[in-house]
Formats: sequence, structure tokens, C-alpha cells
Amino acid sequence: MSELNIASTQSTPAIHGDWQAGVLAMQGDSYPENSFELYDQVIQWVERFLGEEPRPLALQLKLLYLNTSSIKAMMDIFDLLEEAHNQGREVSVTWLYDSRNERVAELAEEFREDCTFAFTISTFDE
Amino acid sequence: MESLDLLAMREIYNRQRVMLCFNGPISRSLIEEIGNALRNYLQAEQAKPSAAMDVFAVYIEMTQNIRHYATQKGFSDQDASATVAISRDDEGRYVVSAGNLVTEQDGRELVDFVARLSTLDKAQLKIAYKEQLRKPREDGASSGAGLGLLDIARKSSSPMRTSLQEQKDGRFFFSLSAVI
Repeated sequence: MSELNIASTQSTPAIHGDWQAGVLAMQGDSYPENSFELYDQVIQWVERFLGEEPRPLALQLKLLYLNTSSIKAMMDIFDLLEEAHNQGREVSVTWLYDSRNERVAELAEEFREDCTFAFTISTFDE
Repeated sequence: MESLDLLAMREIYNRQRVMLCFNGPISRSLIEEIGNALRNYLQAEQAKPSAAMDVFAVYIEMTQNIRHYATQKGFSDQDASATVAISRDDEGRYVVSAGNLVTEQDGRELVDFVARLSTLDKAQLKIAYKEQLRKPREDGASSGAGLGLLDIARKSSSPMRTSLQEQKDGRFFFSLSAVI
């Protein structure tokens, strides 16, 4: 069992992986110059969870702006979920966005196009 | 020594409707700080959140491309200089422009790549973008300039413009401009 806790900065999101609950939450902007320094540890956490635990894994995202480097890293995470889903694992993504900014929904939608697992995009109230 | 003519600079900025500009060595933290100022300006101008995000995104991709290029070429922090401006055009659309010194070959490749992008419509750009996204990342490279340029092209309301001008030291100044 291991928790993942990364505090947010101006250019990186807050990331919390709750091993017990099987929830990985990320919120905020993501535009670090080198996103792989940040996301490698997130990718490793997801790989370890899917490898060691039979339980479902849920991603809860409130991400806003992602630079292309973060988009590439996020795609790697969704690819892991897709692979697990194809092996019969229960995985899901819920992406919440502010209805005043449709760009976030469009971004989430482009990810969803390439995924066959449960992927919900919905608005939240401030 | 020629004295600094701030009034002339001011008049140029006003005429070209420049909101924000920067010239000099650009660091990671400076990109963030200028980005913050840009977001505040856009908010003060009551830009729609989606438009503000597009302008911010294009600014980030352009400046990070310049930083990645400098890293790849082994430039010192002092040499990792950029000229960046965010302005409005006659129709009030936001224009993001950035320039930096490149080798002649890199400059020509960039000009050609942007010219090829200008022949693609939005649907073709999306396909090219997704293909680029799927390409395995090279060791040591955080991301290719190609993905950033494709992203900018997708957010632009007209084709990006480039220029390439030879400098006295044999290097070339490449500039890129996108209308959001």
C-alpha cells in the first residue's frame, strides 16, 4: 500500500493517489516544461496499483489547461487504463469541468475518443 | 551611445496594439511569470475563458518550444533568448508572436513545416496532431516541437506566419506569429 501525494505549483496540478480507496485525483493546470519528470511517478503508481491490486481504479480529474507535453503524459496514463480494461479490469475516468470553459470539455473529449472504458465528462458547480 | 527612446518604443507598441512583450534570456520561471501577467490582462479585458485559454496555450507552446530548442542546442541561459509579443490585430483578434535565433537548417525546416500545416484544414490537423501524439518520445527529448506547432495551428483562426532573417553572426532569426 502506498499513497501518492504531490502538492500543486503554479504550473503543475495537485495529485493524490489513494491506494486504499483505489482513487487517483488530479486537479489544476499542468504546463511544466518537462512533464515527464512529474508524470513518471504517477504512471509508476498506476502501473503498480493495476499490477498488485485486483480492485477497481478510478481517476477523478479536475484538470484545466494542459500543455502538449502534459497531454502526451496523460495519454500514457489512459493507455494503461485501456490496456487494463481490455484485460477485464474495472477502471474509470471522471473529468469535471467548469461549464464556462468549453475548451476543457473539448480536451477531455479528445482523450475519450481513444478510450473504451467508462469515461465521464461533466460540469461542476463552483 | 544611442540613447534609449522609450517614447518611440511606446508609440510602436501602441500602434501595433501590443499588450505584453518581452525580449531577452527566458527562463522557466519567467515563462510562468509572464504567463501569469498575460492571464491577468486577458481576465481584465474580459476575454472569454476559452479564448483566454487558447491565447495562453499558444504562448506556452511557443515559449517552451524556444526553451527546448535552446536546451537541445546546449545554449547557455544567456543565449536562450526569446522575443515574445502578445497583441491585437485590426479585427481585435489576439496575436501571439515569438522569435529566437536558430541555425539556417533548423530555420528552413521550421518555415517548411509551418507552410505544410497551412495547407491542412481543421480535420486534417486533428489527424496529424493525434498521429504526432502517438509517436514514441525520443530519449532525452521532453516533447517534439512538432506537437506544439500542430497544437498552435489547431488553435489559430488563420494560418501561422513565419519569417527567417539572417543575422550578422551567420545565425538566423526565426519568428512565428499566430492569430487566435
